[in-house]
Amino acid sequence: MTRYISKSVFLLFVSVILVCGIYPGALWLMGRIFFPSQAVGSLVRGPDGKVVGSKLIAQPFTKDEYFWPRPSAASYDASASASSTLAASNYALRNRVATMLGPIVKYASGPKTGQLVAPDIEAWFQKDSYQDQPHIVAQWADAHNELAQAWVTADPTHAAYVQDWAKAYPDLVKQWIQQNPGTPNPQPTDLAVLFFENFSKEFPGKFLSAVTTTGPGGRSQTKIAPVSQGTDIQSTFFDMWRNDHPDVALQDVPGDMVTTSASGLGPDITVENAEYQLDRVATKWASDLKRDPATVRAEIQQILNANAHAPLDGLAGGKLINVLEVNLALREKYGAPPS
Amino acid sequence: MFLQTWFLPFALLVTATMVAIPLSGYMAWIMDGKYRPVPVFGWFEKRLNFGDQNWKQYTVSLLVFNTLLFIYGFIILSLQPRMPLNPRHLGMLAPTTIFHSVISFMTNTDLQHYSGDVNFSNFSQIFFCITMLFLSAAVGLSALTAIIRALRSDKSVGNYFLDMWRVLVYMFVPTAFLFGLLFLQQGSPMTYKSDYQVATLEPAAMGTTPDGQPKLQTIVVGPVAAFESMKMLGTNGGGFYGMNSAHPFENPTAFSNFFNTLAMMIFPFSLVLMYGRMLRKKRHAWVIFSVMMVLMIGTIVWAVHFDTQKPNPGLTAHLARTYQVLDASAPGGKRTVSVPAVAGLPVDQHWGNLEGKELRFGTPAGATFAAVTVDVTCGAVNAEHDSLNPIAALSPMVGMWLNCIYGGKGVGMINLLLFLIIGIFIAGQMVGRTPEYLGKKIDARVVKLAIIALLVHPLMILMPTGLFAGTSWGLKAETNPGAHGFSQMLYQFSSASANNGSAFDGLAVDYGFNNNSSAPPTARQWDIAAGLVMLFSRYLPIVAPIAMAAFLGMKKSSPFSAGTLRDDTMTFGFLLFGTIVIIGALLFLPAAALGPVAEHFGPIPFGG
Repeated sequence: MTRYISKSVFLLFVSVILVCGIYPGALWLMGRIFFPSQAVGSLVRGPDGKVVGSKLIAQPFTKDEYFWPRPSAASYDASASASSTLAASNYALRNRVATMLGPIVKYASGPKTGQLVAPDIEAWFQKDSYQDQPHIVAQWADAHNELAQAWVTADPTHAAYVQDWAKAYPDLVKQWIQQNPGTPNPQPTDLAVLFFENFSKEFPGKFLSAVTTTGPGGRSQTKIAPVSQGTDIQSTFFDMWRNDHPDVALQDVPGDMVTTSASGLGPDITVENAEYQLDRVATKWASDLKRDPATVRAEIQQILNANAHAPLDGLAGGKLINVLEVNLALREKYGAPPS
Repeated sequence: MFLQTWFLPFALLVTATMVAIPLSGYMAWIMDGKYRPVPVFGWFEKRLNFGDQNWKQYTVSLLVFNTLLFIYGFIILSLQPRMPLNPRHLGMLAPTTIFHSVISFMTNTDLQHYSGDVNFSNFSQIFFCITMLFLSAAVGLSALTAIIRALRSDKSVGNYFLDMWRVLVYMFVPTAFLFGLLFLQQGSPMTYKSDYQVATLEPAAMGTTPDGQPKLQTIVVGPVAAFESMKMLGTNGGGFYGMNSAHPFENPTAFSNFFNTLAMMIFPFSLVLMYGRMLRKKRHAWVIFSVMMVLMIGTIVWAVHFDTQKPNPGLTAHLARTYQVLDASAPGGKRTVSVPAVAGLPVDQHWGNLEGKELRFGTPAGATFAAVTVDVTCGAVNAEHDSLNPIAALSPMVGMWLNCIYGGKGVGMINLLLFLIIGIFIAGQMVGRTPEYLGKKIDARVVKLAIIALLVHPLMILMPTGLFAGTSWGLKAETNPGAHGFSQMLYQFSSASANNGSAFDGLAVDYGFNNNSSAPPTARQWDIAAGLVMLFSRYLPIVAPIAMAAFLGMKKSSPFSAGTLRDDTMTFGFLLFGTIVIIGALLFLPAAALGPVAEHFGPIPFGG
């Protein structure tokens, strides 16, 4: 037995020296000599020579002048890669996609071909009737309790709004406590569904959103207020609008535009996705630079063509665009977008 | 489109087979000790090799060494805050997570209840992970070698420490170095630095810090190339980063993905052929190889067909439906639930289900990898298995349940041996002859040992899954509603018991650092339960088959006659295939029906 233990210790000792010392050390040396750029993480530099990231790692873009990467379940945090882990059967997945689609989806046929659906979603929402029943917001909160609760926790101002409401309606809260004896001190999240049911009756055709107003003295103020239009309505209620209009033909959005990558850091988008965004990018640069949109568009299309690459040279999938590389090319060609 | 879907899996299977033929010859040559070591290596061999061992001595050596590995791993991980190469000042993991991680890496499972990029310093990555990646794989391969020697009635099953040395030095280190270079060239970092802080091209898009400055992007790097190659070659599968082979640094390109997938296939493929070479039964090995190949093709085609060639059903239209649900309180014991129609969302899904997929690997890469990684018991992932189409996720589960489609280092072939003994035993019963394998009579003691080793696996999956699904331990950890929540638990224990290591990542089991105040409520229970499952499901199915092989080997060989069941024919292949499929189906169909199958047929989307 002693022999087994001493041999085990010796074997472990030799192994650790070999596989933790010599082996990675040798690879590190090869990296230093032959692959210096890859070995440190394929870092890329911006126009001013500073490192702006790694060409392999996605980073967020929100300006209209830039192409946008796929949505990221990791918030583009390259120290905590993550996927959405949403199952196909989880409504949260469908809701996330629908929320992204609402403001951008366009008609595919009929008199409004090519126009945004968004204004019609708002008009439908203001009528406040879903599946021939009144009060859209109440139905939304009833069907999707978790979404109503998520709205409350999304921002401290939301929770504060619900809290103020609860103070103004003590009778309703008391009634709720009677029905839910397990929760004698309900928090704003607990009351979310009740809150939206009553809100819907009080403000038919309205939803809550952050509104910026210019108060006395020219100071701008942001607070939560009932609104009857805006992106919050377009995104939150697109799924319900779609269920009320299942047969209306809409233009398909490229799949990778609304789905998250496995690592949350996937640097590529499909060419279809890039071309879908091309109008927005080209129009914005043209208006920034006061140039002809068609020429700018053609120039950007050329940048896309030059940067397109396909996995295994096309044997395993369609053409892709590295978002950071294309945006760097745009930055070099047109300068910094105005802030 | 046809080419873009099927080229990748086809090329992988062909390349892996082509590599396995010469590699298995080399491995048999090494393990049979026909080489002459260079003097330096010879010195080490003399120090390690203290002579032949019988099967009991070999097994005890194996267990002693693994105990030492456990102690070593536990110490390294516990000391993380005090060790060098930790500029981010990462603290100590929760003790239960350390317990779980050490067992996980020691048993070649690499199920991770932590995220490498969030929780591990480069010191832990190198001295804990990389050590285990090499040694745990070598343990399985050595065990198989001992079994082969026992089966061919050698007077000794070899020396455990010498076998470990041979596997490590003559097989793993050189191949890992080659693949490491390849991954390095493709873009995997190889540095002792820990992270960069960079201001991105559009700084404000990252968000702002509390003091109003734009947030920086933290990019974690490290000795990824060295880690990655052995992670795949040793069918370990534990990622340097949380998202494993999906992370752009672990797997930068479609090319690296091809070699990532290939790396985990070559040794399991070779081991089957090595078995044939060492036993001098090459045709027999090819029959086994073919049965495994058929099963692997089946799992790949299933996954690719239902995931790459079908849209994500969460976004498509569904008709209104009514379901009869069992309900004791309702009249007649049944309640009718109606689900309204759901309209399709305008999403172009002609590339298949893209949720949780990386684009750069190519269209079928995620589904192909998902099937292969469970077949060879690797457990690395390059897509999010939680987000696979429900019925496609059946493919990785079946791979883990059968656990012998090439299988992990040595262990897959050992598992197949068990199915084979049972198959021959059943066939012998049917024709009324004494069953024989390799000319040795299969008696009650051998069959008992085979059954014990075989039944550990389903028991270790179904019992804990039942326990967790029936209590708040599981319900508090599931993150998807309905049948998929059950699938998450079933998958976790299947992965633990198969020593696989892939997961439905949504399951809330990561406790994190020891001082984490917002840890998932039942993470500790998961750590301990999964840790124990891995432990039992690793060592029982190694020890029992070694004993079984030893008992077989001790018997006298009966001469080959007209009545002998031939083990190198198509018929034998069908017998083996049938045994695996029927036993597998009997054990796991009910669980499958409650999980992925129910999710597939159930209303989608399910719940709120």
